[in-house]
Amino acid sequence: MNLILQTLLERKTELLDATLEHLLISLLSLVCAVAIAVPLAVWFSGRRKQAETVLQFTGVLQTIPSLAMLGLLIPFVGIGTPPALIALTLYALLPIFQNTYLGFSEIHPSIKEAATAFGLSRWQKLMRVELPLALPAMISGIRTAAVLIIGTATLAALVGAGGLGKIILLGIDRNNTALTVIGAAASALLAVGVSGLVYWLQRKKAAGRALSVAALLVALLLGAQWWSSQGSSKQVVIAGKLGSEPDILINMYKLLIEADNPEINVVLKPNFGKTSFLFNALNSGEVDIYPEFTGTVLESLVKLPDAEKNRKFNPQQTYLLAKKLLDEQYQMVFLAPMKYQNTYALALPQAYARQHQVATLSDLAKVKDQIRAGFTLEFIDRQDGYKGLSETHRIPLKHLASIEPTLRYTALEDGRVDLVDAYSTDAEIRRYKLTLLKDDLQLFPPYQGAPLMKAKFAEQHPQVAASLNRLAGKISEEEMSEMNDKVKNGGEAPAKVAADYLNAHQLLNKKDAP
Amino acid sequence: MNAIVEFREVGKRYGEKNVISGLNLSIHEGEFFVMVGPSGCGKTTTLKMINALTQPSEGDVYFNGKRIKDYDIRRLRHRIGYVLQQIALFPTMTVKQNIELIPDILGWSKSERSRRSGELLEMVGLPPAKYAARYPNELSGGEQQRIGILRAIAAKPDVLLMDEPFSALDPISRNALQEMVADIHQRLGTTIVFVTHNMNEAQRLASRIAVMQGGRLQQLGTPEELQSQPANEFVRSFFQSETIDYGKISQLTDLLPLSRDDMPELEADAAIADLFPLLGSHPRVRIRGVGEIDGSRVFDYLHSRQR
Repeated sequence: MNLILQTLLERKTELLDATLEHLLISLLSLVCAVAIAVPLAVWFSGRRKQAETVLQFTGVLQTIPSLAMLGLLIPFVGIGTPPALIALTLYALLPIFQNTYLGFSEIHPSIKEAATAFGLSRWQKLMRVELPLALPAMISGIRTAAVLIIGTATLAALVGAGGLGKIILLGIDRNNTALTVIGAAASALLAVGVSGLVYWLQRKKAAGRALSVAALLVALLLGAQWWSSQGSSKQVVIAGKLGSEPDILINMYKLLIEADNPEINVVLKPNFGKTSFLFNALNSGEVDIYPEFTGTVLESLVKLPDAEKNRKFNPQQTYLLAKKLLDEQYQMVFLAPMKYQNTYALALPQAYARQHQVATLSDLAKVKDQIRAGFTLEFIDRQDGYKGLSETHRIPLKHLASIEPTLRYTALEDGRVDLVDAYSTDAEIRRYKLTLLKDDLQLFPPYQGAPLMKAKFAEQHPQVAASLNRLAGKISEEEMSEMNDKVKNGGEAPAKVAADYLNAHQLLNKKDAP
Repeated sequence: MNAIVEFREVGKRYGEKNVISGLNLSIHEGEFFVMVGPSGCGKTTTLKMINALTQPSEGDVYFNGKRIKDYDIRRLRHRIGYVLQQIALFPTMTVKQNIELIPDILGWSKSERSRRSGELLEMVGLPPAKYAARYPNELSGGEQQRIGILRAIAAKPDVLLMDEPFSALDPISRNALQEMVADIHQRLGTTIVFVTHNMNEAQRLASRIAVMQGGRLQQLGTPEELQSQPANEFVRSFFQSETIDYGKISQLTDLLPLSRDDMPELEADAAIADLFPLLGSHPRVRIRGVGEIDGSRVFDYLHSRQR
């Protein structure tokens, strides 16, 4: 409990921002859904057959898992707020449509006949008679939708739309239960609060109407402002993948750029998502810079010419090839990499390694039928991951489970798996006393981190590239691992860890060059 | 006598079925005109042609000498009051708002509306201080229908249409309301077109009665003329059978224990008299949507009514 309070105090601005972001995206979706579903329901209220069809259609929308829906929307609307907004709106359609439709169709025919016989126009009938009667049902639909949206909006963080989901993901990533609990509780409280508010607004008729109109205007205004701030040209948007290391790196980028160029405002989007999200975001211009690894570029982002396939490269060759192909295929600039290698590795408890005499990747052949492996989906699917191990090197593992990146060390600690894929700079390797298997098969390609940006951006901001190049050749594996440990287990802020490193190595002093 | 409403060679078909055929009828300004006949005789359909809730398939209905279909329908309806059997007060509006609805739509000022609703409530013995702010579900059935009538006459319509307005009420309320309507008619002189299946009610209220059966007009005349010179056997028998009116089954349902098994069925708004042949062969009858009625209790009820 103390820990939760302490975390709450430490992160209160971050939490407040996330809550506001969450509320905004939820309310915007709710408003959109109401604007679509209510007129539809009114129009269909006299048309039972067509209404059934619409109900079935919105019902089908509801059955699409939210994660899949977000994924399906990415090719069409990119990442960030738009897919989240659309997905949440689609989810809210069914409860609002269904309840409003029922509310309208349950009005007794004699009431409608009376209104007609008194010479009320269609609009007067709707506003004076039918809407007030259908309102309770409609409001209950809106409340259901609000709770649904606010809960589902936690997934918006996965497509880079932010919100409380970011806090929850961060908590899982940092193994910080307090943070996860806070994120989840805040989301639940928000749902209860908004649902209660809608109910209260309905009860307090006159005040409610005025208030809801005001709230709507404020929400739309904030939304518009926030929207326009997204694309402001004076700022540079830097995003990072989920995890402490990208978080530290982008903080370094921010410090370096802002130290040299006070006129530039760097906006950070930490824990933005996975590789493909980020790369798409960069490509579409939503993000200006993000740190990427040389090995990842060759494996997942560019098309390798046939001549280069199945060749083994040293780190320098890997970087040069990645740089060349990114330039040719995507018109992107890949700046010089840092020193450390954050390559894939397979890790297992020291005790298990000793007992079964496993020290290298080829030693895995000895235990391939008994060892229990927990690999991330990404690792399982990669040529320079499990695919290479099982197909090229013929060491298929009998007991293999796919596991979320953030959960695999917990699974290892709990003794549910014996072997996980890891990155060589992971903080947990030290923490859990793990042994890294030596890569005697040269299975894992070199992975060096470097800032990636579009060529156009680099042209327009040469000073930014110059600032970032100060990191070239800096940071060793030990230093990175130590910094990761400070953030992940020491509870230090990535910004502070980044500043400490830059200060210690005098990278922030721009007058250092004579 | 000025004809305010006139039916000329009016017919109405639903699909193959002729609901009304060859109807010629004049309703005079200021009279209390009652259409009477058994269920399905076409009287309600005829009534609803006056405010264009239904349209004739043949012939024309005239209002003040002009065809109804040539009117701006909403403007015409503003001049015609309408009272429904189901009462159909707007549940989300107070008594005051219900009464003032049409004046409001017609653009009366707030003070004018307020004076009108207050004066109407006083007239029917419902003090505004006590009733104006109530909602329909806080009123008894009889009180609700009083408001239903006030709502219909609030904007001083030329004609007041009443579609079996009292058939869902208990006998005491019905009596009181019949008096109230007769009183309103005398005081305001509004033309009233009133539909009922109850010959007693018709005789009590009407200036003239139109007896209908099978979509045709059987006889039109004053209550005295109909009684003394019935045009045919139907009118005569209708008079006789209707002299004893026990009201509707729905009056019984809240005082009788109800059970379920296989048995004949009736609608809740059928006449109690319709029960008799069924109770002759079955101990109980199912009332659709309500429950079942035990024969002995029906006789208990009728006996108590007699005293």
